[in-house]
Amino acid sequence: MSLRSEWTKILAFLFKNLIITKGNIFSLFEILFWPTVGLLSVGLLAKYLQLSPDMMAFILVGVISMSVVQVCQIDIAYVLLYDVWGKCVKHEFIAPINSVHLILGSWLIGIFRSGIILILLVFFSSQAFGFDFLKPGINALIVFLVSLFLTSALVGITVCILVLIFGHKAEVAAWSLVSLMLLVCGIYYPISMLPGPIMAVAKFVPLTYFLEYFRSFYGFSSDLSGFLVKGYGLALVYLGLAWIGLDLVIRNAKRTGILITLSE
Amino acid sequence: MALAVRVRDLWKSFRSGWFWGARNEVLRGIELDIEERRIFGILGPNGAGKTTFLSILSTLLLPDRGQINVLGMNVLKQGNRIRERINISSGNANFLWSLTVRENLTFYAMLYGLGWRDRKKKVDEVIALFELGNHEGTPFDKLSTGMKQRLALAKSMLNNPEILFLDEPTVGLDPQISLKIRDQIREIQQERGITIVLTTHNMAEAEYLCDRIAFLKAGEILTVGTAHELKRSIRLGDIITIDYVGDLYSIRMEQLPGVIDFSLSDGRCQFVVDSATKRMGTILQGLWGAGVSVTEVKTSQTNLEEVFLEFAK
Repeated sequence: MSLRSEWTKILAFLFKNLIITKGNIFSLFEILFWPTVGLLSVGLLAKYLQLSPDMMAFILVGVISMSVVQVCQIDIAYVLLYDVWGKCVKHEFIAPINSVHLILGSWLIGIFRSGIILILLVFFSSQAFGFDFLKPGINALIVFLVSLFLTSALVGITVCILVLIFGHKAEVAAWSLVSLMLLVCGIYYPISMLPGPIMAVAKFVPLTYFLEYFRSFYGFSSDLSGFLVKGYGLALVYLGLAWIGLDLVIRNAKRTGILITLSE
Repeated sequence: MALAVRVRDLWKSFRSGWFWGARNEVLRGIELDIEERRIFGILGPNGAGKTTFLSILSTLLLPDRGQINVLGMNVLKQGNRIRERINISSGNANFLWSLTVRENLTFYAMLYGLGWRDRKKKVDEVIALFELGNHEGTPFDKLSTGMKQRLALAKSMLNNPEILFLDEPTVGLDPQISLKIRDQIREIQQERGITIVLTTHNMAEAEYLCDRIAFLKAGEILTVGTAHELKRSIRLGDIITIDYVGDLYSIRMEQLPGVIDFSLSDGRCQFVVDSATKRMGTILQGLWGAGVSVTEVKTSQTNLEEVFLEFAK
């Protein structure tokens, strides 16, 4: 087991996702079209409502972040969903690979694609609405982007777990989990707007802290504190748990036979 | 000869539905040894547990209990090391639909950690081996069923497996392509000396390919042996039918060596023997010795289908 061969196994999943997208114009739509439409429609709505530049910044930070998370996590979800749709799940699990190869490879391509989307959205938001996404500075931007990529990995792994437990029925999670976060984490509004119990839930979601952190550079105060410690702390704990969960679910899938069922 | 697979007391059940669902036992106390460098067939009716058994051997499924060693390694503890040295190909093969033959093979070669140079060499080799050259740029969903099956076999050779598991490799293929695939399986085994474990419910396939065959029914191995041994075990063998003139009723032909069964009617007698070529001379000599003149001799072989039907009862 050389480091080089392990790296090749990771790159295999990057190759797979990349080559499927290359051959499918609709995948490109999903990655480029919807985030751009989302940004423009929300931005135009905000303009129509004559929101102040501060409020506009609040909303656009949320929209751009959500697009980055959505595009990055969908690549992780797709790494398994493509095989479910192709009824060829077992071919991967007959090979000497593990969850690390599976997740890291797809995460890398997710980061690459969501990076492209980020650049596009930052450019559009600057041109169309005069919004400066780079205002917090390069260090804050890197910290924020890493946090978004960690959040994406968390969501993507959760989708994979659900697919390996519930099969086809869980496909919808690939799109709906992010929407749920949109509701809870304060993408378009501060979490103080949320009813008590949901606000309590929001405090257990890392993205809530990351958004508050980035928005603080635009002058928004928050009831929360220790954004990065709490956000990264929660994200890393959840990621560790999700990874353990994924390994357990793969083992369980070998017990229940769902790997075979998903290949028929 | 060393063992490629050793199975002891293997049990596997599936639950229908969630926690409260009933358990359906699919494999019941399987015990089996498979020697290296042979083609071993697992024969049985639909629902006998063939695919489940193969999936456990190839580490895709975990057993409820039992000791399963593949290439001397425990499937429960050394799954990843086993997977480096085995591969599987199934009938009705499915792959990523929009990837071409070459892209699919490249992806799976990467899963075995093959670097760029080795990968290209290996992919070129299996494309040539399975005559996929004219289709290497064709997306999987545009391939014919036969080509899809060849791609599945090509994929299964990417890591030079020491054991190749084939799950109904010719199911759904027309007879001509089935024959071609069978020949390719045989060639691969002979050239590379690998162990092949295949499931099938096609008797001709089992008889043509397999050195040894196990009959699996309702999750239990009923018998194991060569096709010849299996035919004999249920008193089925080669049949010699002889038309004659004379009196045979006074002669105890069933006592001749190699005769499994003997029947007589006016002017015709029928022997079931272990081997027609081996026993023909003795039988004819016995008849001539008794003063019987032989007018016609016909031989026919029991096919494995009859054995299968006997065991499947």
